[in-house]
Amino acid sequence: MRPHGIGFLRPAAFLAPVVLIFVSARAQSQDAAAFFKQNCTSCHTIGGGRLVGPDLKGVAQRQPDRKWLVDFISDPNSKLDAGDPYAAKLLGEARGARMNKVAGINQTIADSLLVLIDAESRLAKSQFAGTQISDRPFTGQDIANGRNIFLGQTRLAAGGAACVSCHSIVGLRSLGGGRLGPDLTKAFERLGGRKGLATWLSAPPTLTMNPVFRNTPLDANAEILPLVAFFQDAAQRGGVADTSTSMFNFLLLGLGGTVVLLILFDLFWLKRFRAVRKPMLLGLDVGGHK
Amino acid sequence: MDVRSQISMVFHLDKCIGCHTCSIACKNIWTDRKGTEYMWWNNVETKPGTGYPTKWEDQEKYRGGWELKGGKLSLKSTGRARIVPNIFHNPSLPSMDDYYEPWTYKYEDLFNAPEGPDQPTALPISMVTGKYMDVEAGPNWDDDLGGSPVYAENDPNLDGLTPEQRQQLFAIERLVFFYFPRICNHCLNPACVASCPSGALYKRGEDGIVLLDQKRCRAWRSCVAACPYKKTYFNWYTGKSEKCILCYPRLETGQAPACFHSCVGRIRYLGVLLYDAEMIETVGKTDDANLIDAHRSMILDPFNPKIIEAARKNGIHDSTIQAAQMSPVYKFVKVWKIALPPHIEFRTLPMLFYVPALSPVMASRTEDGILNSSEDLFHDVESSRVPLAYLAKLFGAGHDGKVRYALRKQKAVRMYRRMLTVGDVDRETVDRMLREADTTAEEAEMIYRLTSLCTFEDRFVIPPAHREEAIEMMKDPYEHKSSVGFGFLSAPKRGL
Repeated sequence: MRPHGIGFLRPAAFLAPVVLIFVSARAQSQDAAAFFKQNCTSCHTIGGGRLVGPDLKGVAQRQPDRKWLVDFISDPNSKLDAGDPYAAKLLGEARGARMNKVAGINQTIADSLLVLIDAESRLAKSQFAGTQISDRPFTGQDIANGRNIFLGQTRLAAGGAACVSCHSIVGLRSLGGGRLGPDLTKAFERLGGRKGLATWLSAPPTLTMNPVFRNTPLDANAEILPLVAFFQDAAQRGGVADTSTSMFNFLLLGLGGTVVLLILFDLFWLKRFRAVRKPMLLGLDVGGHK
Repeated sequence: MDVRSQISMVFHLDKCIGCHTCSIACKNIWTDRKGTEYMWWNNVETKPGTGYPTKWEDQEKYRGGWELKGGKLSLKSTGRARIVPNIFHNPSLPSMDDYYEPWTYKYEDLFNAPEGPDQPTALPISMVTGKYMDVEAGPNWDDDLGGSPVYAENDPNLDGLTPEQRQQLFAIERLVFFYFPRICNHCLNPACVASCPSGALYKRGEDGIVLLDQKRCRAWRSCVAACPYKKTYFNWYTGKSEKCILCYPRLETGQAPACFHSCVGRIRYLGVLLYDAEMIETVGKTDDANLIDAHRSMILDPFNPKIIEAARKNGIHDSTIQAAQMSPVYKFVKVWKIALPPHIEFRTLPMLFYVPALSPVMASRTEDGILNSSEDLFHDVESSRVPLAYLAKLFGAGHDGKVRYALRKQKAVRMYRRMLTVGDVDRETVDRMLREADTTAEEAEMIYRLTSLCTFEDRFVIPPAHREEAIEMMKDPYEHKSSVGFGFLSAPKRGL
């Protein structure tokens, strides 16, 4: 069965069988690579060691059941929920981090991904060996830069939304951050430390983050590195983002703002028409005829 | 030339005794309904005073009338840029307090009160809320300078007067005032018509009466803000604005408007003027100093054959042209030039004119008799108790030339008549006075006759309304007359 929506297979229908095999194989490998880079590299490397998910080098040797692999890649939840023993083992290795179903995946793509992983596993140095981010120790400057990036005071080079729009983190003053996404104080630990977090940030895989950052990826050394430094710092400080005080501050700010606005309105329309007779009688006729 | 006819008016302030009969006549006919209690389509003010509504002449507050901005006339209250942000609340409207809260008295208390040691009293009740209220103001609260000196001192026309001139007005035992009756001016460039977003206000083609269509009014109240004379009023009960209609149902049947008809002092004159409608914009843009001359120049000579020809071409009936030739207003305004428009600087080109009042004659008594033939014959015009500068603010757009001219001519007419009836002024002096006042014995006699001996027919020259011609456009006038009579805009519904 050839499902629709697989663009890279469509030209094949018009070509001779031999050409079909050749071309489709090439097209498949190219598109699979792009798909892998987009959706998988945040949790997996090929020969780069474990991130959140396992290193995929030689995955076919570790789990020879290709059907199982295809099924798991195209819908991890069904295997995980069904209590499959191998899936449970993987979940344990990942310290409980579940693999999400990738947006737009299906069995055909899963199959082509496996082909790609096989090919890449045979290379000495795979192109998916992990994000190349400097290993140098973090400085105070990195943390400060990361904070600025988080708060949006330094704009993301590619134009992505600043973290603070949706997330909060410990140590933010006054209003705190956004409430839409989770508190990121523990993100450093949750996403597997420096390397894992950095790779995760290079292509955020979750259903919410992926569409937001798909077209506006972060820069590896200028943005991801300081952010990771900042998150590490936050994780070391611990605690949770304080939401109660920021709620109160928000109320105060709203009230204060209203008062300031009303005063401004009154000043702006100071010469508006109010009343004539009463002020005249009381001698309060400002700018009147005396 | 675009000749049109306008029913215009002259109020001779020198004859007004401030009796308010006009106000009462109008109130009884038109504004005794719910929601109109506070309206005085005709009111009489004491000057100096703040009038009704309080300080209506202060356009810095009320933003009425037109202003000349970059060579263009625009409304002070409602430009396009102003009306949109203010569409739900027009900020320049007088509040009820600036008019007054209408009230009546609880008269039944006088009869129903139980027997007791005190006289029963009738307490004032608001006609708006129906509750007891403290009466703080009324439509003529400062009548005869009553109430409090605050009202007279706050008259906007006192702006620019020297302290001596003010002193002159308010000196103890020398207080001076005159009356200023006001109705809608039925202007040639009415700000109320221009401001109405619903197009409810219109200037009637045949006689220039400014009317407000009750079916079209949508309660925007732009007219209330725009009219610099504050002569449109909002009926809080019907949610429609109302204004003076110059008693057009009376005019159409040949009767003078109620306020004119009832005037005790016979100060009111009414007649047709022919004017050139093409000049309205040019005249409206004239600078203050020349505004009165420009306004007069619009009024056309009804005896000029060319103008009669142009008027006929515009569909003006011969009977209207005849009425224009007999118009007392034409004489006062155009021939004798002693009637002046009120606050023409508001640029609405009012068609109600005032003959300014002479102040009390201040002759000095000597052993030889009353000294009134000094070298400067017009000394009591120049240094009259009501300063010229004050009258100039009211009737001369701040320039006293036209006011002085009108006062001198009146003064000369008085001296001329004094010579004839009292005989203590010699002919030579009177001739000199007439000459210096730019008039002749014949003209003085005519002014005297129209001022003092005027009959009903002299004062009110009302052209036939020719309703039959208007109705002819829609249906057979004989059929219309037999079914509803002339004068009705819509036939009554009959049958089931």
